[in-house]
Amino acid sequence: MAIPKTLKEKANKAMGISTEDARITKTYLFVAFMALLVGGLLGLLQGLNRAGLLELPSWLNYYQVLTAHGLLLVLVLTAFFTIGYFYAALSHTLGGLLPIVRKMAWIGFGLKIVGFVFAVIPILRGNASVMYTFYPPMAASPWFYIGLALIVVGVWMCAFGAFIQVANWRKNNKGKHVPILSFFATGVFILLFFGSLPVAIEVIVMIIPWSFGWVKTINVMVARTLFWAFGHTLVNIWYLTAVSAWYVIVPKIIGGKRWSDLLTRIVIIALVIMNITGGFHHQIIDPGISASVKFMHVFMSLAIGFPSLMTAWAMFAVFERTARKNGGKGLVGWYKKMPWGDVRFLAPFIAMLAFIPAGAGGIVQSTNQLNQVVHNTMWVVGHFHLTLGMSVVMTFFGISYWLVPYVSKRVLTPAINKLGVIQTIIWTVGMIIMSGSMHTVGLLGSPRRTSYTTYGDNATALGWDPYLLMLAVGGTLLIIGVLLQVYAVINMMFFAPKGETEFPIAEEEEGASKTPYWTERWGLWIVIMLIFVGMAYVIPLTEFIVNAPPGSPPFKTW
Amino acid sequence: MNQFFYGLLLLIFLALPPVAHLLESIMIVHMHMQMPMLVIAGFLMARLFQLRFPAFFEKWNGNGIPGIILFLIIVVFWTIPRAMDEALTFPSMEVFKFFSLSILAGIPLRDSWKKLSTIGKNAIIVIFTIKYFGMGLLYIKAPVQLCNNYLIIDQLTLGWGFLTTAICLVIYLLYVTFTDPTKYE
Ligand code: HEM
Ligand SMILES: [Cu+2]
Repeated sequence: MAIPKTLKEKANKAMGISTEDARITKTYLFVAFMALLVGGLLGLLQGLNRAGLLELPSWLNYYQVLTAHGLLLVLVLTAFFTIGYFYAALSHTLGGLLPIVRKMAWIGFGLKIVGFVFAVIPILRGNASVMYTFYPPMAASPWFYIGLALIVVGVWMCAFGAFIQVANWRKNNKGKHVPILSFFATGVFILLFFGSLPVAIEVIVMIIPWSFGWVKTINVMVARTLFWAFGHTLVNIWYLTAVSAWYVIVPKIIGGKRWSDLLTRIVIIALVIMNITGGFHHQIIDPGISASVKFMHVFMSLAIGFPSLMTAWAMFAVFERTARKNGGKGLVGWYKKMPWGDVRFLAPFIAMLAFIPAGAGGIVQSTNQLNQVVHNTMWVVGHFHLTLGMSVVMTFFGISYWLVPYVSKRVLTPAINKLGVIQTIIWTVGMIIMSGSMHTVGLLGSPRRTSYTTYGDNATALGWDPYLLMLAVGGTLLIIGVLLQVYAVINMMFFAPKGETEFPIAEEEEGASKTPYWTERWGLWIVIMLIFVGMAYVIPLTEFIVNAPPGSPPFKTW
Repeated sequence: MNQFFYGLLLLIFLALPPVAHLLESIMIVHMHMQMPMLVIAGFLMARLFQLRFPAFFEKWNGNGIPGIILFLIIVVFWTIPRAMDEALTFPSMEVFKFFSLSILAGIPLRDSWKKLSTIGKNAIIVIFTIKYFGMGLLYIKAPVQLCNNYLIIDQLTLGWGFLTTAICLVIYLLYVTFTDPTKYE
């Protein structure tokens, strides 16, 4: 059994991805970039509105647009990209997808698309302007929530498909380590599954019966807590996905070796275990949690910063080592030896740089007193356009320049590479302008999630206008970036010259110490993760439920 | 040596008055975070003692059973409500808590765990699972305050903490029972 298996794996690596596996990733990526296109256009509408340049019509108001922008970019773009990317990685590193796994990916795809249609119709009809966080007691049409539930079930399908694929490989490759990219995939799908359990409970058990009117009231605090157990985990799923490319792909592209295999795996395990409990840093201003408990949660959140710092250190070590090997000299002179003209390197590199201010901003927000200043202001919007819109999304863009040709059996032409470099520069400038002005205007008090208003020509509100105008300037650059990126993806998917593209996976360094087998014991890590989650959530949840105020009936605030 | 140092550092950190005060101000954190961390501190420090006094451990804890029984006694003692209360009331009890959980529980745990058979290890986990369900129900059902120092809501929270931990242990036991590592390793 073992021999034909390895033969098949070799063939798979040499001949590229099978057409059936490629179709899955191609379809997922196509949807992801369509979401970017539509979501980006909606973002532009918002930017123009906030600058006071555009009044949105009553049949498509600011809050409808904002709900769709959030859902398309936070949920659709990221989920579809992550799944498409990791399914290609599973297929490539584990010798092709099993037929059952392929089927599950397609069922998952169907569920997500149907769910999305269910969610979008109420938004368009103005019955679901609840933003992507859908905090009760704001209540949308029940169909909106049913759509969300279907999306979650679709994601579970893909998660279980990945688990089956990995378990099968391990059975056929006893005692071997799961290849690093599939190890990342395992961590990500574990988080996707366990992270979406709380939101599934929120939506299915609490909100749907309440929005249909079968139960009269809802416990608002419990709902918010369940949402952020998911929301925060989702953030770290993006982060882990981006990090997988930083650790595994980027070193190969610059012709270097991967950083310590063991420490990489420890970072993944640590992020999986400590992740879900971080959700509380989104509730620093919420009532019902005592100051000392909040303090401990902040400590937990900052603990996640530790593996992140390890990441930064590791990456720069890899860059420097590779550049010096290629003849780079001097304390900083080695940077000249990096392949700056290669979009597959440039985009993720800038993404990594963006993580420095983004991480600093995150530490600001985790700090209780500073959070009071920026909470629910445009600062926060600036923050996640830096983390998500830059660190994560630019890494995704960088991946697309080899992944799309790889699954389409085409090649990256110099022209598209050049377009990619230009796109990267435009996106960088646009995001710096937009997110910079968002941060600043937030410090000056401009609230998030609020369509343009001068509050009766109040002087403070008028003082925001120059920054909001800059926001629109950045947004306009960004939409150019969106169009270039989508054009590049469509070109590489359907029109670029035929050919073979490599799936770039860096080798381990020579003489690295052997990775111990305990890193593969996912069952144990999951139990430890659950104990962490139980510990972190039992205090606030008991308080919220035992000392609950009267529940809230649904409200339509718009 | 390194491990001993980290263990000692953790122990000193936990003993700092503001840290101890913060952790002990919440009942469940007192029992489910501070106490396990004291055990972990001892667990880390154990390495030095094992290297220095191998004969002692060989003589008294050859098969790991005396050590694990000492561990069980200490840990069970510290889940009694009254013991927690006294630790908050009498400084001598507080000192004993730090000493017993790190030295008398953490060190024997480290020395015994490797020596136990798989069945022995799982038996310990089963004992804890049953105990945690029992303590959980006790703390949830008790109609009165069990500790002078903590409110009923703290007690309820602790009870649910016991139950969720017990559920996690059950999941672990199911995992080791129904997956066959020889298929993978
Ligand atoms: C063309 C590029 C983009 C522009 C012009 C843009 C602009 C905006 C603006 C103006 C807001 C509303 C702020 C408010 O009133 O609270 C917003 C919100 C948001 N944007 Fe973007 N954005 C862009 C791209 C992205 C990308 C790529 C992502 C993520 C992948 C993203 C994620 C979000 C999220 C999650 C929100 C918050 C929605 C909410 O508060 O419910 N945006 N964006
Ligand atoms: Cu978060």
